Amino acid sequence: MAKVLMKGNEAIGEAAIRAGCVHFFGYPITPQSEVPEYLAKRLPEVGGRFVQAESEVAASNMIYGAAGVGMRVLTTSSSPGISLMAEALSYIAACELPVVLVNIMRAGPGLGGILPSQGDYLQATKGTAHGDFDLIVLAPDSVQEAVRLVISAFELAEKYRNPVMVIGDGMIGQMMEPVEFPDEVKGPPLDPGDWALTGCAGREKRIINSLYLDPDFADRHNRKLKAKFERIREAEQRWEAYNCDGPCDLLVVSFGMMSRICKTAIEELKAEGFKIGLFRPITLKPYPYEALRKAADKAKRIISIEMNMGQMIEDVKLAALGTKPIDFFGMAGGLVPSPDDVVAALRDSLKKAGAGGKAR
Amino acid sequence: MTIYRPTSNLLMIVGNYGSGKTEVAVNVAVQMADEGRRVDVADLDIVNPYFRCREARELMERRGIRVVMPPGAQAWADLPIVLPEIKGMLHPEGDRISLFDVGGDDVGAKLLSSFVEALKGRTYSLLQVVNSRRPFTDTVEGCLKMKRDIEAASRLKVTGLVANSHLVAETTVEVILEGWRLARSVSEASGVPVEFVTAMGDLADDPALKTVQAPVLRLTRIMLPPWLRPAEKKDSANPEKSAPAERARPIFRP
Repeated sequence: MAKVLMKGNEAIGEAAIRAGCVHFFGYPITPQSEVPEYLAKRLPEVGGRFVQAESEVAASNMIYGAAGVGMRVLTTSSSPGISLMAEALSYIAACELPVVLVNIMRAGPGLGGILPSQGDYLQATKGTAHGDFDLIVLAPDSVQEAVRLVISAFELAEKYRNPVMVIGDGMIGQMMEPVEFPDEVKGPPLDPGDWALTGCAGREKRIINSLYLDPDFADRHNRKLKAKFERIREAEQRWEAYNCDGPCDLLVVSFGMMSRICKTAIEELKAEGFKIGLFRPITLKPYPYEALRKAADKAKRIISIEMNMGQMIEDVKLAALGTKPIDFFGMAGGLVPSPDDVVAALRDSLKKAGAGGKAR
Repeated sequence: MTIYRPTSNLLMIVGNYGSGKTEVAVNVAVQMADEGRRVDVADLDIVNPYFRCREARELMERRGIRVVMPPGAQAWADLPIVLPEIKGMLHPEGDRISLFDVGGDDVGAKLLSSFVEALKGRTYSLLQVVNSRRPFTDTVEGCLKMKRDIEAASRLKVTGLVANSHLVAETTVEVILEGWRLARSVSEASGVPVEFVTAMGDLADDPALKTVQAPVLRLTRIMLPPWLRPAEKKDSANPEKSAPAERARPIFRP
């Protein structure tokens, strides 16, 4: 298929279709509204179903129901909308249902604004909702990678019967980039296995709920979910290590679109003789702690650069375990750091690391 | 080098999402201002939350272009704000030219329908920007449907086509030629002329574009994502006159 120019949000919608997902339930919110808009146009063309729910609370319970009957299903939203979906996500994770959701983050807290942000990192990776459960969280840095990760999200969701979140700042949703799609559209419905509610004629009935009154049963279920996440942790960590071979003056840790601004700054400082690596986690959960630790071992110092007030830095600290000093640079509220802002932050850190560059 | 000279002093730019309306609008405004024309630009994009021509405000104002956009923090909202100044811009005085950068699809063009009464009996240029690499407008039928939808929503008639086929940094001359051929077919089917074909930077010098039977307008990439710096603007005839690199503000830095 020839390359086309697409907005991240449209590409996410198309990627879901290529992954064989023809059911969407959602509610519009800037800056992700082009996903439902695109799918409202496209899904009827492929025999799918598009439902605009009355709220995010409703949409999240619709995907709960759709996944429960064995449908491949997607919802998308932006920060405040994701907060409204929290309760249903906990239920979905408890019931081990495969759903994919996308969070195109906007600036918060509260109603905030419509401009881009990475302010939901901790919500996505640590505190999505009540109870012991884990999402799988994937963070693309381009429209093309968003396509790849949305397709991958459906595979992971079904492999582990676990909700998967693809997370990007508003820019990933709004920017246009050339993109290619796999020609093949994945086959319809996912394998209903021995859990989906497909009608019990001729077989034993199945029940999907998350009410666990018996504490022994509930404890066993929590252990089962934890064991599942351990398998995910073993098998599914992804990251990009850029400029990370050999010792470096500084290691930048950054995810999503922000990492591309960091790359521009790193390349510009390279000309002055500074060696700066970039570690970009692609799975924000499971976080690639060991890979980051290995990259950090080769660096004098670390800086976490985020479009928030310092959230991922908590995982960077867990990875480095006190072996290296860690700086932070971030902007929030919808401001996007420019390459100049990042260069200035890197110079600060380089100075603290005692790095001299070429001339000095 | 081609400079676009619209036949009317009221120029409105429409098209589907992502066809490149804003990049075209800002470039045309800047080129006309550099030629000495007095230009007023209105950001009428009520559908897109980011990458609107208001981000190029400073760059345009430096050239004396008047930029009409929602004031203060309202500029960074997704509210359908239409300022009263817009009505005044419908009737530019003297040699002034009004340029409207309109939001995408029929949804964005709907706003123009409120000007129909004011525009009775007066000429205007309503340019539909076409990018053959965008979904829904990669065929003649798709472009004609977009044209019909925009005309129905705006209650105005498209007067010209702009072939703006591109894949951002991955644009080749083939993509531009493909876009020209698509626009020509749309033109043949609709009777609306192709006003110009765009080519970014050095691509405008490609000899293959000599086969294009419409003016080729050289664009400078102004609407850049935050990680890119603008390319140095070279004046090959006059190396000493090379202009300093320019761009829209790294977005979202009001």
